[in-house]
Amino acid sequence: MKPTLLSPENLRALALSQPEGAATRIVGLVVCATFLAAVLWLVQRGRLREEYTPIWTGVAVAMMVGIAWFDSVRFLTHLVGAWTPSSTLFFFGLLFLLVVSLNYAVRLSGMSLQVKLLAQEVALLRAELAGRREPGDDANE
Amino acid sequence: MLASAQSRRTLVIIPALNEARSITRVVEAVRGADGALDILVIDDGSHDETATLARQAGAQVASHPFNLGYGAALQTGYKWALAHDYSYVVQLDADGQHDPAFLPRLLEPLHQGTADLVIGSRFLTDSGYRMDAARNAGRLFLQRLLRAFGGPRIADPTSGLQALRRPVIEFCCRDFYPSDFPDIDVLLVLHRRGFRLVEVPVTMAPSPAGRKTMHAGLKALYYPYKILLATVRAWRLTASALRS
Repeated sequence: MKPTLLSPENLRALALSQPEGAATRIVGLVVCATFLAAVLWLVQRGRLREEYTPIWTGVAVAMMVGIAWFDSVRFLTHLVGAWTPSSTLFFFGLLFLLVVSLNYAVRLSGMSLQVKLLAQEVALLRAELAGRREPGDDANE
Repeated sequence: MLASAQSRRTLVIIPALNEARSITRVVEAVRGADGALDILVIDDGSHDETATLARQAGAQVASHPFNLGYGAALQTGYKWALAHDYSYVVQLDADGQHDPAFLPRLLEPLHQGTADLVIGSRFLTDSGYRMDAARNAGRLFLQRLLRAFGGPRIADPTSGLQALRRPVIEFCCRDFYPSDFPDIDVLLVLHRRGFRLVEVPVTMAPSPAGRKTMHAGLKALYYPYKILLATVRAWRLTASALRS
């Protein structure tokens, strides 16, 4: 191998032009299909609400498209200046997880407030009821 | 003793979490200070007999179905006060640190109309109260932080012994009020909203030994961080947000 082939540009071009194996594609498609099926199963069982599914369905479909049309991943890799398609996938995967985590933290904050308000209401209503109950009521119950 | 008409319009709220050892003594002390005062103990998800003992001592009890936090417990008391048309609220800790004998002193500026929130301060005069070095450093830090963000000069910004007028009670029922520990962030919001904050000198017993506080363990690291964030948030609240 000539020393010039070891230049960064050549190495990057080499990494980008590596063909993806059929086995990799099949494993990827099976994982995505299983993930999609799991999402649908959770919805069917009532353990995942419909409004939370678009993001996961979207992710599964996007991954399938990426596997079926790998040039799109290569194009994305070229666009973000990464060396290998796997780096691009890790980068966008981590970015996605960060955004999803922050989104859920925001939702949790809202729900914490709702839970607090409800618990306070329960406490106040119980105290109100206890105050209205006559002293002899307990004995009659 | 307070004039009876004023007593009827005043609610004493006592947030309590697992305070079975002291709650009876505290409720009886308040009743001893003024038998006409209504007392509401907010049981914040205790696992012991706090609620039962408080009820037996003559207090009304509102029990959270689970632990919500000191601030949420106070807010439950404020909501009860609003629902039952009280004009004033005095808040005491359930561990016996606060002496109910100071209730008239706390309420006086409210009755005179010279204050909207009165804070019982351990440090206005030399009350003999001694903090350890770490807590005292924390107090001074909070004091300076409050001033740095344009707040008032408060000698005892962490005092839980406070008396509030109805407009402040209404304001503190909003969603901004923290569930954990209302601190200088709340004082800053109230000051920016135009409420008059006044301190009166009181004496307090030391915190009971072995009691978990917000300064214990990892919370000691989280607390300054949380305070800083909450204070910046309070400082950045717009005038319209404060009024609305």
